[in-house]
Amino acid sequence: MSGTYITLKAGMGQDPLQQTYDAIVVGSGATGGWAAKQLSESGLKVALLEAGRAISPKEFTEHMPAYKLKYRDHSPEVVRTRPVQKQCYACMEYNYEWFVNDLENPYSTPPGKPFTWQRLRILGGRSLVWGRQSYRMSDNDLKAASRDGYGDDWPISYADLSPYYDIVEKYVGISGAAEGNEMLPDGQFLPPMKMSCGEIQLRDRVKAKFGHTVTIGRTAILTQNHNGRLQCHYCGPCERGCSTFSYFSSPFTTVKDAIASGNCTLITNAVVSHVDMDTAANKARGVTYVDRLTRQVKEVRGKSVILCAQALESTRILLNSSTREYPNGLANSSGALGHYLMDHVVGAGASGRLPNFNPLPNANEPARPNGIYVPRFRNTPSSKKHSQFIRGYGYQGGAEAGFNFNAEGYGTQLKRAVKEGEYSVSLGAFGESLARWDNYIEIDKDLKDAWGIPALHINMSHGDNEAALMQDAGAMAAEMIEAAGGKDIRVQANVEMPGMAIHELGTARMGNDPKKSVLDPFNQAHDVKNLFVMDGASFVSSACQNPTLSMMAVTVRACDHLVGRFRKNEV
Amino acid sequence: MKRREMLRASVLAGAAAALRPSLSNAQSAAQSAAQPSELTPAQSGIDASKDLSGPGWKPLFLDEHQNETLIILSDLIIPATDTPGAKEAFVNRYIDLVLAAETPDKQRAFLNSLGYLDGESMKRFKSAFRYLAADDQDLLLHALAYPRTGGGWAEDTGPVADPGHTHFEALKERIMTAYYSSQIGEKELGWDGAFAHGPFQGCEHPEGEHK
Repeated sequence: MSGTYITLKAGMGQDPLQQTYDAIVVGSGATGGWAAKQLSESGLKVALLEAGRAISPKEFTEHMPAYKLKYRDHSPEVVRTRPVQKQCYACMEYNYEWFVNDLENPYSTPPGKPFTWQRLRILGGRSLVWGRQSYRMSDNDLKAASRDGYGDDWPISYADLSPYYDIVEKYVGISGAAEGNEMLPDGQFLPPMKMSCGEIQLRDRVKAKFGHTVTIGRTAILTQNHNGRLQCHYCGPCERGCSTFSYFSSPFTTVKDAIASGNCTLITNAVVSHVDMDTAANKARGVTYVDRLTRQVKEVRGKSVILCAQALESTRILLNSSTREYPNGLANSSGALGHYLMDHVVGAGASGRLPNFNPLPNANEPARPNGIYVPRFRNTPSSKKHSQFIRGYGYQGGAEAGFNFNAEGYGTQLKRAVKEGEYSVSLGAFGESLARWDNYIEIDKDLKDAWGIPALHINMSHGDNEAALMQDAGAMAAEMIEAAGGKDIRVQANVEMPGMAIHELGTARMGNDPKKSVLDPFNQAHDVKNLFVMDGASFVSSACQNPTLSMMAVTVRACDHLVGRFRKNEV
Repeated sequence: MKRREMLRASVLAGAAAALRPSLSNAQSAAQSAAQPSELTPAQSGIDASKDLSGPGWKPLFLDEHQNETLIILSDLIIPATDTPGAKEAFVNRYIDLVLAAETPDKQRAFLNSLGYLDGESMKRFKSAFRYLAADDQDLLLHALAYPRTGGGWAEDTGPVADPGHTHFEALKERIMTAYYSSQIGEKELGWDGAFAHGPFQGCEHPEGEHK
């Protein structure tokens, strides 16, 4: 069986590989879905390539009780094919087949420098299982280098991005509360989810004692019917799929729209190995892929190529596309390709009990798939410069009554104690990961994936600033929980291995200077005018906010620009 | 174990199915079916909940003595009260199934812990745990269930690791997981079988009166 072709309204009856598309989009996740939607709806002929298979809502398992599973979601077998993916909280007995098989998708790391690369190859990619937290960046992030002297500013400002945040938020549906916080611009919000009693107490006391904001998580989950999708029914485990499509995932939104436009051809099972160049014209002429199932090698032709394959995958494709003119990776005259890899630092936080609240858990309460958020309060315009570190961190957390499975002892009193429950509160930090040249990816010449495509060597470690952020984040979380009335407080101030935040960014950064950056401010390669990277690879700095919303806004902005160039016949 | 991992059901599945026709456009992107091997058993809709309750059940990993010891131990840790206990929930069968799929290290660790119980029992009562009188079983479990903190002559001496307690906790964790992930365990927690209970209401107390 060859690759699967869907919707050929545009070229019904034609072989999809015999056409020349206006744009080839590689990757169908959060950013690729947007690129396909924006370009096809503006009339361009688009081929959307996805390395994995298509997906059906019939595969969703969010309403299947664990006792129906062979190992009740504690399968010791998942780790055999997915030792890396299993490190992701969302990779479980329910859905592990959505995640890549690590045996087929190897990568290497230097001794003593582990990196966990958690990913999906299926229509929609990680948008199927993402954490859904959605935050804007501000000029405090985009122009951070000007403020503290470290690194580089983004070549774009909040004013450039803001209209595109609006477009994305209005379409996706982000529930949240406006706060007027200087570090976390407000957006186009659906009504916020509610806070628990413990969260309100934490919010009020943290405000009173520290002056910091605690807000309900801004999340890509609908709190009212929106754009043909139904509001959340609070069953809980979004990462197994959603029968009402209440959280945002690309297959059932952007990709669906792209296909409905009649201008988008979806090609699944297309594992792209490299970009093909017309060297005489210094232009990309398409991509080559390996059919995931038949292993046949095929080519798709296009007037432009847009990589949305995930930060490391997009850069891997460019590194594997070397030519005589670009011996160290395509569009890499700057030498910056592969460098400045970032992933938010995690591993710090605190948790405790709130003894003044009724701990009695109720198995029949709605399960809110969201928590609270504490925006960055360190090194802000209104706070003192911190002596130990630059930049800052934000917290995700929550407070709720739960069954006390950690109750001590045994027998009837244990059974009772489990049901008597515990009211617990926790905060976990996500810190900014500084862009550093020596955090980089390159091709491992001795390692190939199951399709014969050279694999990555990932060289990354967090540095002193990240460690100092986590020290402070642990201590501050404990202080906040104490202020909220927390007891038995446990503090963590570790630095987990890079990759654990699953917020990989950088490796094909944008910038004004072609000598120092790979992409221009519209995500176009400086070196090759019809080649684009429209995903997290383009980020100049990481901020500390969950990045997917910003990645989508950057993509929509870049597509807007590309459509304009097509209209002016510049492509 | 998290509550929300344990509490799922299918009452609203009918309702969700009824909604699907209006959302059928959303499925147009999903026309190429997955190969059977590319779905998890759960995604294929396989219900394994009856697998362990058959009359002809035989252990895959444990020997008869280990299995009998585990049945007795599990029912002491989670006994039948006005609700069923570990034995009725076939906790031993589930643990056996998981152990059979575990790595040798984890298999060995479990058997070590179970063996420790018998070792202590032999030392104190000259008999394996499963043959002890109920009072003696309780005496032994009580000694293991609560950690002995190290005395310490110096003030800076923290708690000393208590191997007996560590083994007890390892066995207890397996038993807790097995019990509360079973259908009996879900009922024990009071779950009504529905997976949707309306929107999350949050705190509805007046300001300053949170409970």
